[in-house]
Amino acid sequence: MALDRSMRILIVDDYTTMLRILRNLLKQLGFENVDEARDGHEAAQLTARAKYDLIISDWNMEPMTGYELLRHVRADATNAHVPFIMITAESATENVIAAKRAGVNNYIIKPFTTEVLFAKMQAVFEKQMAG
Amino acid sequence: MIQAAEQQKPELDLTDLAERNDERIPLKDVIALAEKVTAALKPLVRSLDRSMHQELREILGAIEGLRSELSRVDANDIFAKRIPEMGRELGAIVKATEVATDTIMNVAEQVLAADKSDPEKYAAEVEQHMMAIFEACSFQDLTGQRVTKIIHTMEVIEQRIEVLCRMIENNNIAPVSTGEMSEREKRNREKLVSGPAHEGEGVSQSDIDAMF
Repeated sequence: MALDRSMRILIVDDYTTMLRILRNLLKQLGFENVDEARDGHEAAQLTARAKYDLIISDWNMEPMTGYELLRHVRADATNAHVPFIMITAESATENVIAAKRAGVNNYIIKPFTTEVLFAKMQAVFEKQMAG
Repeated sequence: MIQAAEQQKPELDLTDLAERNDERIPLKDVIALAEKVTAALKPLVRSLDRSMHQELREILGAIEGLRSELSRVDANDIFAKRIPEMGRELGAIVKATEVATDTIMNVAEQVLAADKSDPEKYAAEVEQHMMAIFEACSFQDLTGQRVTKIIHTMEVIEQRIEVLCRMIENNNIAPVSTGEMSEREKRNREKLVSGPAHEGEGVSQSDIDAMF
Protein backbone atom coordinates (compact mmCIF):
# COMPACT_ATOMS: atom_id res chain seq x y z
CA MET A 1 0.00 0.00 0.00
CA ALA A 2 1.24 3.49 -0.88
CA LEU A 3 1.16 6.46 1.47
CA ASP A 4 -2.39 7.70 1.04
CA ARG A 5 -3.85 10.83 2.68
CA SER A 6 -7.13 9.00 3.36
CA MET A 7 -5.50 6.11 5.19
CA ARG A 8 -6.75 5.24 8.68
CA ILE A 9 -4.13 5.93 11.32
CA LEU A 10 -4.14 4.96 14.99
CA ILE A 11 -2.05 7.16 17.29
CA VAL A 12 -1.23 5.88 20.80
CA ASP A 13 0.17 7.96 23.65
CA ASP A 14 -0.67 8.34 27.34
CA TYR A 15 -0.18 12.12 27.17
CA THR A 16 -3.22 13.87 25.75
CA THR A 17 -0.97 16.78 24.76
CA MET A 18 1.16 14.43 22.66
CA LEU A 19 -1.92 12.94 21.05
CA ARG A 20 -3.07 16.45 20.23
CA ILE A 21 0.33 17.40 18.79
CA LEU A 22 0.42 14.24 16.66
CA ARG A 23 -3.15 14.76 15.46
CA ASN A 24 -2.34 18.35 14.44
CA LEU A 25 0.93 17.41 12.73
CA LEU A 26 -0.81 14.64 10.79
CA LYS A 27 -3.61 17.08 9.89
CA GLN A 28 -1.01 19.54 8.58
CA LEU A 29 0.43 16.70 6.50
CA GLY A 30 -3.04 15.99 5.12
CA PHE A 31 -3.95 12.94 7.21
CA GLU A 32 -7.28 13.49 8.95
CA ASN A 33 -8.57 9.93 9.38
CA VAL A 34 -6.97 9.51 12.80
CA ASP A 35 -8.09 7.55 15.89
CA GLU A 36 -6.55 7.88 19.34
CA ALA A 37 -5.74 5.48 22.18
CA ARG A 38 -4.22 6.32 25.56
CA ASP A 39 -2.25 3.12 26.12
CA GLY A 40 -1.39 -0.19 24.48
CA HIS A 41 -4.39 -1.96 25.94
CA GLU A 42 -6.88 0.58 24.57
CA ALA A 43 -5.07 0.45 21.21
CA ALA A 44 -5.24 -3.37 21.17
CA GLN A 45 -9.01 -3.16 21.70
CA LEU A 46 -9.32 -0.70 18.79
CA THR A 47 -7.20 -2.86 16.46
CA ALA A 48 -9.43 -5.83 17.29
CA ARG A 49 -12.48 -3.86 16.12
CA ALA A 50 -11.10 -1.84 13.19
CA LYS A 51 -8.50 -2.23 10.48
CA TYR A 52 -5.77 0.41 10.53
CA ASP A 53 -3.32 1.29 7.76
CA LEU A 54 -0.72 2.68 10.16
CA ILE A 55 -0.10 2.61 13.91
CA ILE A 56 2.04 5.32 15.50
CA SER A 57 2.75 4.56 19.16
CA ASP A 58 4.66 5.81 22.16
CA TRP A 59 6.69 3.23 24.13
CA ASN A 60 6.32 4.17 27.80
CA MET A 61 2.67 3.71 28.75
CA GLU A 62 0.76 1.89 31.47
CA PRO A 63 -0.57 -0.72 31.81
CA MET A 64 0.46 -1.90 28.33
CA THR A 65 3.55 -0.37 26.73
CA GLY A 66 4.02 0.42 23.04
CA TYR A 67 6.49 -2.46 22.79
CA GLU A 68 3.89 -4.87 24.18
CA LEU A 69 1.33 -3.43 21.76
CA LEU A 70 3.77 -4.00 18.88
CA ARG A 71 4.23 -7.65 19.90
CA HIS A 72 0.49 -8.05 20.35
CA VAL A 73 -0.21 -6.61 16.90
CA ARG A 74 2.48 -8.73 15.23
CA ALA A 75 1.08 -11.86 16.88
CA ASP A 76 -2.39 -11.13 15.53
CA ALA A 77 -2.80 -12.58 12.02
CA THR A 78 -5.12 -9.80 10.83
CA ASN A 79 -2.78 -7.01 11.96
CA ALA A 80 0.59 -8.72 11.63
CA HIS A 81 1.57 -6.61 8.62
CA VAL A 82 0.16 -3.23 9.69
CA PRO A 83 2.97 -0.63 9.50
CA PHE A 84 4.02 0.33 13.01
CA ILE A 85 6.09 3.40 13.86
CA MET A 86 7.38 3.91 17.39
CA ILE A 87 7.72 7.54 18.54
CA THR A 88 9.43 7.58 21.91
CA ALA A 89 11.94 9.15 24.27
CA GLU A 90 13.38 5.65 24.88
CA SER A 91 16.68 5.85 23.02
CA ALA A 92 18.65 3.00 24.57
CA THR A 93 20.21 0.72 21.95
CA GLU A 94 18.53 -2.32 23.53
CA ASN A 95 15.12 -0.69 23.04
CA VAL A 96 15.71 -0.01 19.35
CA ILE A 97 17.06 -3.54 18.81
CA ALA A 98 14.14 -5.10 20.73
CA ALA A 99 11.62 -3.07 18.74
CA LYS A 100 13.29 -3.96 15.44
CA ARG A 101 13.29 -7.65 16.36
CA ALA A 102 9.62 -7.41 17.31
CA GLY A 103 8.85 -6.04 13.85
CA VAL A 104 8.67 -2.26 14.19
CA ASN A 105 8.85 -0.50 10.81
CA ASN A 106 10.50 2.68 11.98
CA TYR A 107 11.59 4.37 15.18
CA ILE A 108 11.48 8.10 15.92
CA ILE A 109 13.15 9.72 18.92
CA LYS A 110 11.26 12.50 20.72
CA PRO A 111 11.39 15.43 20.25
CA PHE A 112 10.80 15.20 16.51
CA THR A 113 9.73 17.46 13.68
CA THR A 114 6.90 17.20 11.17
CA GLU A 115 9.51 16.61 8.46
CA VAL A 116 11.01 13.65 10.32
CA LEU A 117 7.57 12.14 10.93
CA PHE A 118 6.62 12.47 7.27
CA ALA A 119 10.00 11.17 6.07
CA LYS A 120 9.65 8.04 8.24
CA MET A 121 6.06 7.47 7.10
CA GLN A 122 7.20 7.76 3.50
CA ALA A 123 10.15 5.42 4.11
CA VAL A 124 7.90 2.79 5.69
CA PHE A 125 5.41 2.76 2.82
CA GLU A 126 8.10 2.92 0.13
CA LYS A 127 9.76 -0.11 1.71
CA GLN A 128 6.40 -1.92 1.86
CA MET A 129 5.78 -1.15 -1.81
CA ALA A 130 9.26 -2.38 -2.75
CA GLY A 131 8.91 -5.50 -0.59
CA MET B 1 29.51 -16.46 115.91
CA ILE B 2 31.33 -17.06 112.64
CA GLN B 3 34.28 -15.08 113.90
CA ALA B 4 34.39 -17.29 117.00
CA ALA B 5 34.38 -20.42 114.86
CA GLU B 6 37.22 -19.07 112.79
CA GLN B 7 39.22 -18.47 115.97
CA GLN B 8 38.64 -22.04 117.20
CA LYS B 9 39.37 -23.82 113.92
CA PRO B 10 42.17 -23.51 111.38
CA GLU B 11 41.20 -21.69 108.19
CA LEU B 12 39.14 -23.74 105.73
CA ASP B 13 39.71 -23.93 102.04
CA LEU B 14 38.23 -25.96 99.14
CA THR B 15 40.92 -28.65 99.40
CA ASP B 16 39.97 -29.25 103.05
CA LEU B 17 36.32 -29.64 102.15
CA ALA B 18 37.09 -31.97 99.26
CA GLU B 19 39.34 -34.14 101.40
CA ARG B 20 36.67 -34.57 104.07
CA ASN B 21 34.64 -36.59 101.54
CA ASP B 22 31.62 -35.85 103.69
CA GLU B 23 28.32 -34.79 102.18
CA ARG B 24 27.28 -33.19 105.48
CA ILE B 25 29.39 -30.03 105.48
CA PRO B 26 28.27 -27.66 108.22
CA LEU B 27 26.58 -24.47 107.08
CA LYS B 28 29.00 -22.31 109.05
CA ASP B 29 31.92 -23.78 107.04
CA VAL B 30 30.15 -23.01 103.76
CA ILE B 31 29.45 -19.43 104.90
CA ALA B 32 33.03 -19.00 106.07
CA LEU B 33 34.32 -20.21 102.71
CA ALA B 34 31.91 -17.92 100.83
CA GLU B 35 33.15 -14.95 102.84
CA LYS B 36 36.74 -15.85 102.03
CA VAL B 37 35.97 -16.13 98.33
CA THR B 38 34.12 -12.81 98.38
CA ALA B 39 37.01 -11.11 100.15
CA ALA B 40 39.48 -12.54 97.64
CA LEU B 41 37.37 -11.36 94.70
CA LYS B 42 36.81 -7.84 96.04
CA PRO B 43 39.88 -6.22 94.37
CA LEU B 44 38.98 -7.88 91.06
CA VAL B 45 35.33 -6.75 91.27
CA ARG B 46 36.49 -3.21 92.17
CA SER B 47 38.78 -3.04 89.15
CA LEU B 48 36.06 -4.51 86.88
CA ASP B 49 33.63 -2.01 88.31
CA ARG B 50 36.03 0.87 87.52
CA SER B 51 36.68 -0.28 83.93
CA MET B 52 32.97 -0.97 83.29
CA HIS B 53 32.13 2.43 84.64
CA GLN B 54 34.71 3.98 82.34
CA GLU B 55 33.38 2.07 79.32
CA LEU B 56 29.78 2.97 80.14
CA ARG B 57 30.78 6.63 80.39
CA GLU B 58 32.42 6.39 76.95
CA ILE B 59 29.30 4.71 75.46
CA LEU B 60 27.14 7.40 77.03
CA GLY B 61 29.38 10.07 75.54
CA ALA B 62 29.16 8.45 72.10
CA ILE B 63 25.35 8.18 72.34
CA GLU B 64 25.12 11.84 73.36
CA GLY B 65 27.34 12.78 70.41
CA LEU B 66 25.17 10.76 68.01
CA ARG B 67 22.01 12.30 69.49
CA SER B 68 23.40 15.76 69.01
CA GLU B 69 24.42 15.04 65.40
CA LEU B 70 21.10 13.30 64.66
CA SER B 71 19.22 16.34 65.92
CA ARG B 72 21.07 18.32 63.22
CA VAL B 73 19.67 15.92 60.57
CA ASP B 74 16.13 16.85 61.72
CA ALA B 75 14.40 13.97 59.92
CA ASN B 76 11.00 15.22 61.03
CA ASP B 77 11.54 18.51 59.22
CA ILE B 78 12.61 16.62 56.06
CA PHE B 79 9.70 14.18 55.99
CA ALA B 80 6.94 16.36 57.43
CA LYS B 81 7.78 19.61 55.71
CA ARG B 82 10.44 19.68 53.01
CA ILE B 83 9.64 16.56 50.94
CA PRO B 84 5.84 17.21 50.88
CA GLU B 85 6.60 20.82 49.90
CA MET B 86 8.78 19.60 47.01
CA GLY B 87 5.92 17.33 45.91
CA ARG B 88 3.54 20.32 45.94
CA GLU B 89 6.00 22.42 43.93
CA LEU B 90 6.47 19.66 41.34
CA GLY B 91 2.72 19.20 41.09
CA ALA B 92 2.32 22.94 40.51
CA ILE B 93 5.00 22.82 37.79
CA VAL B 94 3.23 19.96 36.00
CA LYS B 95 -0.08 21.83 36.26
CA ALA B 96 1.39 25.14 35.02
CA THR B 97 3.09 23.54 32.02
CA GLU B 98 -0.10 21.63 31.22
CA VAL B 99 -2.22 24.81 31.32
CA ALA B 100 0.32 26.73 29.21
CA THR B 101 0.62 23.92 26.66
CA ASP B 102 -3.15 23.69 26.43
CA THR B 103 -3.46 27.46 25.90
CA ILE B 104 -0.72 27.56 23.25
CA MET B 105 -2.19 24.59 21.40
CA ASN B 106 -5.68 26.10 21.49
CA VAL B 107 -4.29 29.31 20.00
CA ALA B 108 -2.30 27.41 17.36
CA GLU B 109 -5.40 25.45 16.36
CA GLN B 110 -7.41 28.69 16.13
CA VAL B 111 -4.72 30.27 13.92
CA LEU B 112 -4.65 27.24 11.66
CA ALA B 113 -8.43 27.23 11.40
CA ALA B 114 -8.76 31.00 10.91
CA ASP B 115 -10.40 32.36 7.77
CA LYS B 116 -7.66 33.58 5.44
CA SER B 117 -9.97 35.12 2.83
CA ASP B 118 -9.74 38.60 4.40
CA PRO B 119 -5.99 39.27 4.85
CA GLU B 120 -6.52 42.30 7.11
CA LYS B 121 -8.91 40.52 9.45
CA TYR B 122 -6.69 37.42 9.40
CA ALA B 123 -3.59 39.47 10.33
CA ALA B 124 -5.44 41.10 13.25
CA GLU B 125 -6.67 37.73 14.47
CA VAL B 126 -3.20 36.18 14.22
CA GLU B 127 -1.72 39.15 16.12
CA GLN B 128 -4.27 38.72 18.90
CA HIS B 129 -3.51 35.02 19.11
CA MET B 130 0.24 35.69 19.21
CA MET B 131 -0.28 37.91 22.28
CA ALA B 132 -2.13 35.03 23.95
CA ILE B 133 0.90 32.81 23.25
CA PHE B 134 3.25 35.40 24.83
CA GLU B 135 1.01 35.53 27.91
CA ALA B 136 0.93 31.76 28.19
CA CYS B 137 4.74 31.63 27.99
CA SER B 138 4.94 33.50 31.32
CA PHE B 139 4.61 30.04 32.93
CA GLN B 140 8.37 29.68 32.45
CA ASP B 141 9.05 32.43 35.02
CA LEU B 142 6.84 30.78 37.65
CA THR B 143 8.07 27.27 37.01
CA GLY B 144 11.65 28.59 37.10
CA GLN B 145 11.03 30.03 40.58
CA ARG B 146 9.45 26.78 41.74
CA VAL B 147 12.40 24.77 40.39
CA THR B 148 14.78 27.11 42.27
CA LYS B 149 12.86 26.41 45.50
CA ILE B 150 13.13 22.66 44.86
CA ILE B 151 16.87 22.96 44.23
CA HIS B 152 17.26 24.84 47.53
CA THR B 153 15.36 22.12 49.42
CA MET B 154 17.46 19.44 47.76
CA GLU B 155 20.60 21.27 48.92
CA VAL B 156 19.31 21.31 52.53
CA ILE B 157 18.54 17.57 52.37
CA GLU B 158 21.95 16.93 50.79
CA GLN B 159 23.70 18.76 53.66
CA ARG B 160 21.82 16.67 56.22
CA ILE B 161 22.57 13.43 54.42
CA GLU B 162 26.22 14.49 54.51
CA VAL B 163 25.96 14.73 58.32
CA LEU B 164 24.55 11.21 58.41
CA CYS B 165 27.33 9.96 56.11
CA ARG B 166 29.97 11.49 58.38
CA MET B 167 28.36 9.83 61.40
CA ILE B 168 28.41 6.51 59.59
CA GLU B 169 32.09 6.96 58.69
CA ASN B 170 33.11 8.13 62.18
CA ASN B 171 31.39 5.20 63.82
CA ASN B 172 32.74 2.59 61.41
CA ILE B 173 29.25 1.50 60.44
CA ALA B 174 29.47 -0.52 57.26
CA PRO B 175 26.83 0.67 54.80
CA VAL B 176 24.13 -1.91 54.18
CA SER B 177 23.04 -2.01 50.58
CA THR B 178 20.41 -4.59 49.76
CA GLY B 179 20.60 -3.75 46.07
CA GLU B 180 16.88 -4.51 45.90
CA MET B 181 14.88 -2.80 43.17
CA SER B 182 11.57 -1.10 43.85
CA GLU B 183 8.42 -2.45 42.17
CA ARG B 184 8.56 0.48 39.73
CA GLU B 185 12.23 -0.25 38.89
CA LYS B 186 11.43 -3.95 38.35
CA ARG B 187 8.50 -3.05 36.08
CA ASN B 188 10.61 -0.59 34.09
CA ARG B 189 13.41 -3.10 33.68
CA GLU B 190 11.03 -5.80 32.48
CA LYS B 191 9.33 -3.46 30.04
CA LEU B 192 12.55 -1.81 28.80
CA VAL B 193 11.48 1.57 30.12
CA SER B 194 14.21 4.00 31.14
CA GLY B 195 12.80 7.36 30.08
CA PRO B 196 14.42 10.12 28.08
CA ALA B 197 18.20 9.98 27.80
CA HIS B 198 20.38 12.99 28.62
CA GLU B 199 22.09 14.92 25.86
CA GLY B 200 24.88 12.87 24.33
CA GLU B 201 23.53 9.62 25.79
CA GLY B 202 21.41 7.01 24.04
CA VAL B 203 21.15 6.36 20.33
CA SER B 204 20.75 9.32 17.96
CA GLN B 205 18.07 9.49 15.27
CA SER B 206 20.75 9.16 12.59
CA ASP B 207 22.05 5.96 14.25
CA ILE B 208 18.51 4.60 14.28
CA ASP B 209 18.01 5.61 10.65
CA ALA B 210 21.12 3.61 9.78
CA MET B 211 19.63 0.58 11.55
CA PHE B 212 16.44 0.82 9.54
